[in-house]
Amino acid sequence: MKPCYLIFTLLICCMACKKDLIPKKEGNFKLNFEHRVDTSLLKLGTTTYKNPSAESYTVTAFKYYISNVYLVKMDNSLLRLPVTYHLVDESKPESKSILLLAPQGEYRAIGFKLGVDSSRNVSGAQTDALDPVLGMFWSWNSGYIMAKMEGKSPVSAAPDKTLTFHVGGFKGPFNAVQDIRIQTPISITVGPDREPAVTFRTDLNKWFGPPNIVSFATTATIHSPGEAAWKISVNYKNMFRITNVTDL
Amino acid sequence: MYTCFVMALIWACRKSGDNKPPAGPTPYTISLPAHFPQPVYDLSRNPPTVEGVALGRRLFYDPRLSRDSTISCGFCHQQFAAFAHFDHALSHGIDNRNGFRSVPSLFNLLWQKDFMWDGGVNHLDIQPLTPISDANEMGEDLGRLIARLNADKKYRSMFDGAFGPGEINSQKLFRALSQFMATMNSFNAKYDSVLTHKAQFSPDEQAGYAIFQAKCAACHKEPLFTDGSFRNNGLPYNEFLNDAGRMRITNSTGDYLKFRVPSLRNIIKSPPYMHDGRFYDIYDVFEHYSSGIEQTPTIDPIVKNGIPLSQEEQRQLYFFLTTLTDHSFINNKSLSEILIYN
Repeated sequence: MKPCYLIFTLLICCMACKKDLIPKKEGNFKLNFEHRVDTSLLKLGTTTYKNPSAESYTVTAFKYYISNVYLVKMDNSLLRLPVTYHLVDESKPESKSILLLAPQGEYRAIGFKLGVDSSRNVSGAQTDALDPVLGMFWSWNSGYIMAKMEGKSPVSAAPDKTLTFHVGGFKGPFNAVQDIRIQTPISITVGPDREPAVTFRTDLNKWFGPPNIVSFATTATIHSPGEAAWKISVNYKNMFRITNVTDL
Repeated sequence: MYTCFVMALIWACRKSGDNKPPAGPTPYTISLPAHFPQPVYDLSRNPPTVEGVALGRRLFYDPRLSRDSTISCGFCHQQFAAFAHFDHALSHGIDNRNGFRSVPSLFNLLWQKDFMWDGGVNHLDIQPLTPISDANEMGEDLGRLIARLNADKKYRSMFDGAFGPGEINSQKLFRALSQFMATMNSFNAKYDSVLTHKAQFSPDEQAGYAIFQAKCAACHKEPLFTDGSFRNNGLPYNEFLNDAGRMRITNSTGDYLKFRVPSLRNIIKSPPYMHDGRFYDIYDVFEHYSSGIEQTPTIDPIVKNGIPLSQEEQRQLYFFLTTLTDHSFINNKSLSEILIYN
């Protein structure tokens, strides 16, 4: 009898120590990113593409930050999720799918920042997706590279015919952090035992215009904050399109 | 019996470790002078510990932070020169390379809101990334450096001691370096003793102080002896370096040829002077302000018409500047170089 009593008390004891016994009404949802150049799937390396100025090029790196994700409820109010930072990198397939936790509910649109908000650009050493070890931080002029595209083009005047588009800057009129908000074609419902997924098609060719047409013959290198970088960010603001919603 | 269970319950709910002596690193108190303003650096976000400061000191003096293991931070930042590079106009790096600016002295960094001659770096924690990764300085890739530290048993145990067990990442590296740099403070010069009524200026020093207050203090603001601003002080343009100064950071033509106003603390110990180290003697600096100003569109109004300094004034100013040498700082054993064998 006595040992039984002891076990029972210990159980109560354990329960009393548990922080939260009420299950939270939350669910997962997924953002998938599929990289294309116009309609062709992006392949790093040797595949040749043409920019809007009909100049051919190849791509060796393509990556960008997604942060500050929010959802839009059916009544159009915003639901800001805890701030997280994700580096979507074509060379790392697992980075192209972001799993997030959101409160139960039905949502009609998704928003996020394409880039890293200004506060994290001025707060010293960061970790994880913001670790400067990832090569997305300018050391000489503190700040994150919000998006990066590297490749080659026969018309490039840079040494070795390279293309270097490092887009960043978080200050003043040339803040390259872009706010993206996209309506989902059907609403998505988040809740326990569900995992809706939204697939974005990301078109790299949108980087080179319109509205700001970029010719590789004249502009093959951008690697500092300022007007030129900002103009690219105005272009790539239009690079996302939702192509699929799995509301399961 | 019941009391016993209640006791067990209370015991079970306690956070572990309450009865043990505190595990983990020992807090390190940084003494801040009463006559200084509030620091800019938020120590509560990176609380210094004895272990963290010791680790930062080792990292500061370890040449293995550079690509070919020849250049440590302390290679260019020498304590006897107030952590500037004595007698070197331009910064040195691996492979016999040179940078294009002089090595700034290091002290009172807690009060500095941005770094480098052009103010391009906005936080003390990430400042070391610049010399570590610059091809003309330590030339190392941050990822390779982190991998090297993780492979080193001694560093693994020191990082564990300072930040708790786990992989070494760049944040821990930078925070350890910041903790050490947070201890590099200079506020015990004769000037400070005079300010706090523990000493008196000599007549020459006193006269020099009056000249300083009348002619220098507008930019070299007390008690830090800099106002932290960027100005064009009328240096003749150096066409070999073609250095645009702060314009490189802001892209604003209004910042062309502007550079940080350096602190004058320990100035006599840290020649050569100016962003390009062009003046080896403080009297050359006096002559520049007195008669060497070059007019350019962004010239600072304060120096535009020159700051006349007679021979006698220059002599007295020199005596005052010697009262800004902090011997307890440049001889502080806890900041001195440590030799690293393993």
